[in-house]
Amino acid sequence: MFPVFAEVPAYPLVFVVFWGAAAFFALAMARHLRIFAAVRATGPSPLSNIPARTLGLIRYAFVQTKMFKDPRAGLMHLGIFWGFVLLTIGTANMVTGGIIQTVLSIPFDGLIWAAISAMQNVVAVGVLGAIGWAFERRLISRPPRLTYNRDALLILGMIGGLVAAELFAQVFEFAAYGDKPGAFIASSLAAPLRGLDPGFLATVFGVLWWTHKGVVAAFLCYLPFSKHLHIATSFFNIYFRKLEPRGVLPKMDLEAEDATFGLRTLADLGWKDILDGFTCTECGRCQQACPAWNTGKPLNPKHFIMGIREMAVEAEHGLPLIPNSAIVRETYGLDDTVHADRLAKPIVDDAIPFDAVWDCVTCGACVEACPVLIEHVDKIVGLRRNLVLEDSRFPAELNGAFRNMEGVGNPWGQPPASRLDWTKGLPFDVPIVADVAAAGRLGELDVLYWVGCAAAFDERNRKVARAFATCLDAAGVSFAVLGQEESCTGDPARRMGNDYVYQMLASSNVETLNRYGMGEKTIVTACPHCFNSIGNEYGQLGGRYRVLHHSAFLRELLADGRLRIGDGDGVPKRTVTLHDSCYLARYNNVVAEPRAVLGAVPGLELVEMEKNSKDTFCCGAGGGRMWMEETRGTRINESRTDQALATGAGVVATECPFCMTMLRDGLEAADMNPGGEVRAIDIAELLAESLEPAQASGKQLPVLQ
Amino acid sequence: MHIVVLTKPVPDPAAAAERLGPDGRLDRAASPSVVNGNDEYALEAALKLTEAHGGEVSLLTMAPAGATDTMRKALAMGATRGVLVTDPALAGSCVRSTVQVLAAALRDLTFDLVFAGADTSDGGGGIVAAGVAALLRLPYLSNAARIEPDPVSGRVQVRRITATGYDLLEAPMPALVVCTQVLGEPRYPSLKGIMSARSKEIATRSLGDLGLSAEAVGGTVATTQLLGTRRPPARGATQVVRGSAEEGAREIVAFLESRRLI
Repeated sequence: MFPVFAEVPAYPLVFVVFWGAAAFFALAMARHLRIFAAVRATGPSPLSNIPARTLGLIRYAFVQTKMFKDPRAGLMHLGIFWGFVLLTIGTANMVTGGIIQTVLSIPFDGLIWAAISAMQNVVAVGVLGAIGWAFERRLISRPPRLTYNRDALLILGMIGGLVAAELFAQVFEFAAYGDKPGAFIASSLAAPLRGLDPGFLATVFGVLWWTHKGVVAAFLCYLPFSKHLHIATSFFNIYFRKLEPRGVLPKMDLEAEDATFGLRTLADLGWKDILDGFTCTECGRCQQACPAWNTGKPLNPKHFIMGIREMAVEAEHGLPLIPNSAIVRETYGLDDTVHADRLAKPIVDDAIPFDAVWDCVTCGACVEACPVLIEHVDKIVGLRRNLVLEDSRFPAELNGAFRNMEGVGNPWGQPPASRLDWTKGLPFDVPIVADVAAAGRLGELDVLYWVGCAAAFDERNRKVARAFATCLDAAGVSFAVLGQEESCTGDPARRMGNDYVYQMLASSNVETLNRYGMGEKTIVTACPHCFNSIGNEYGQLGGRYRVLHHSAFLRELLADGRLRIGDGDGVPKRTVTLHDSCYLARYNNVVAEPRAVLGAVPGLELVEMEKNSKDTFCCGAGGGRMWMEETRGTRINESRTDQALATGAGVVATECPFCMTMLRDGLEAADMNPGGEVRAIDIAELLAESLEPAQASGKQLPVLQ
Repeated sequence: MHIVVLTKPVPDPAAAAERLGPDGRLDRAASPSVVNGNDEYALEAALKLTEAHGGEVSLLTMAPAGATDTMRKALAMGATRGVLVTDPALAGSCVRSTVQVLAAALRDLTFDLVFAGADTSDGGGGIVAAGVAALLRLPYLSNAARIEPDPVSGRVQVRRITATGYDLLEAPMPALVVCTQVLGEPRYPSLKGIMSARSKEIATRSLGDLGLSAEAVGGTVATTQLLGTRRPPARGATQVVRGSAEEGAREIVAFLESRRLI
């Protein structure tokens, strides 16, 4: 009846063994999905952005680009993945009565199937090698990011057993019954066995063939309860990834009086968040990249995502594998509805400790590192939203920052009247938008310079504002500032979970910017946080603006020849390293621009830190951490300072006022930097220093102490 | 347990935009208003007590009509309702008028305790609470570091901070307590608190409602008068000491020695 498998003893049993296991797998997955269905039903639509989602699937699931940040592990994984896919064709053939083989054997005299068989042989050997390598990592070299438990070893053992049993079943099959075309490795291994007793060979073949099916069935039954479930879930997780700019936090409706604000329990999550949990493979790339974990703090992004999964599994505990039908419910009174109380446990202090929620700098290193595109940061901010807006539970220091932002529109609590103090003594005027508008000259304005609170109030960062304004003036750019009409963008409040204060500040800024028609203009800012908020997040509140970071604008001015650099004669050679800001490089992909600006400064030679560009390491001030005490572990800014000093550079270039503060403090405290010789300098300051004398003549250049 | 907290809207000290008009009175348009900082501590103490013993916290404020916005911030922290005494004739009131008005308003309210902050960050008289207690013949318990009311016996115990330690005072309720910051940081209002504060009752009372006449209290009969104002001298330059902890300590010690402070 099944000519392809005529030699296999009791072949038809395969339908019971495999399809029974497959049914169990489907039921177990369906039970997981009941939790997906019970949580708050927000999530991406499968029908939106199909081309972008499909491209993402190819890039991240089939080519696995993210895996190659660790090239050796990436190669190993890609080998196992594609090997598994090819071998699965063979397995599918074996559990369907040989239908695939029969169909594919029709054209070209069976050449296609022979080619597949040959490839399967090659791949089988490759996978066995990769499995051996993976065992070595878990048993001998043991990189710290991995989780060490039986699950991983069991899965590797199963894959190895699966491949070995299949390959050697073929070897003994060929030895007993003669070669089949294509499988050349099996043929060559079978050659020396041909002299053995045919009965013995047939028995070993039968045992190995059924061992393979047994392992396949066991694999299917085990998979739904294993971290290895990613082989089923990662495709979906990648397909449904966040497509908006990464710096856009989920919109929040503050008027929904009955809603839970932010995330408190599993029920407040979306199904994509639960899917994140079931996709985590515990590879630990997130933990390896996390600045909080790297400085000994309780936050571990991997444990958080694993915790979400564990809570979901706990929530389905006791649910029957086969869901009750309406008839069963009515006749026997059995009720297996997923009641709200199953999902009522708070996430904080279960999946993640309270302190860890506040350790996050929202730098997004975990999100960037994750090969299966899990979203950690949005969930952590969601937890903060609930703690702040419902329970007022947050580190005490934030009280002041929140009140200052709400009261006087900046987290430092500085009087708004001093917002323009940074312009005092500049040899040129810094026009105020209101005056420009009153004079009816808004049309002549090239750009609005959004100064930001740090540059307006912090003594060190005021110098950066002066340097940048000097560049603007030297290039003849017609610019203006909002002055007292500017307030904090709300970014720190939003990242700290206080969307109430964020929306208050942001709506007022949107109102101001729209009043002056800034939707038609370009806004330039030297603060990556302002840049991200205004450019990416204000759209949620009806403000759409073209925003440039000062690095991009300065590059434009240099390229257009509007800014001219001195000839650099006699300029001493200096080495510089650039500290990339998370919200600029990682969140918004602005990587080349600041490097182009540094490249224009004569005498500067750029030496990169190990963690640079999109893989940068946070200064420690993101996510509102600027206004919190760093009491746990060691200091993140000191860790980053050490990384910068390790390059041997004489200057640490910055592009963000928070990074400037953190690295300035780090450099002043560093033992490896006696006398504070290595200083943090903004790219605009480095550029302003080297402007052509004619352009800078009569101008008071920023003083660098 | 019913507690009335005396709260005053003051110009936000952080804004540093406090300005006096030509009449020597505060230019309220120039500066955002906040609840007086010390009053927030008193309110926090009152909220903690009603959370433990049951009951309600009411606010009593004497201010211009626009003060309801500021009062809502205090209501957002958890107070149940507010009473705002407002009357054009009250502009320019001195401490004596304020005491008379608050006392008159309190006569219409039922309470076990009245809480007040130590002083206000704008006027800074620091005497209003004592005046109210005297006028209403309430026990006056000042400098409170701990407040323990006993609803059963109807008495309240207060730890009063002294120069050398504490006095333990006991008085029958109703009584007036002047709170200190030792009682604990004021809470940050939750969003639910902010939303529910929008619909909380703020009753307004005019001088007539309280049975007072504009000839008896208010600006026209102020007992004190502002003669002039001057800016404080500008602060000297700040000297920042950078470097290792040791160097820093040495420089600080040298500085203190040069001023003969150690």
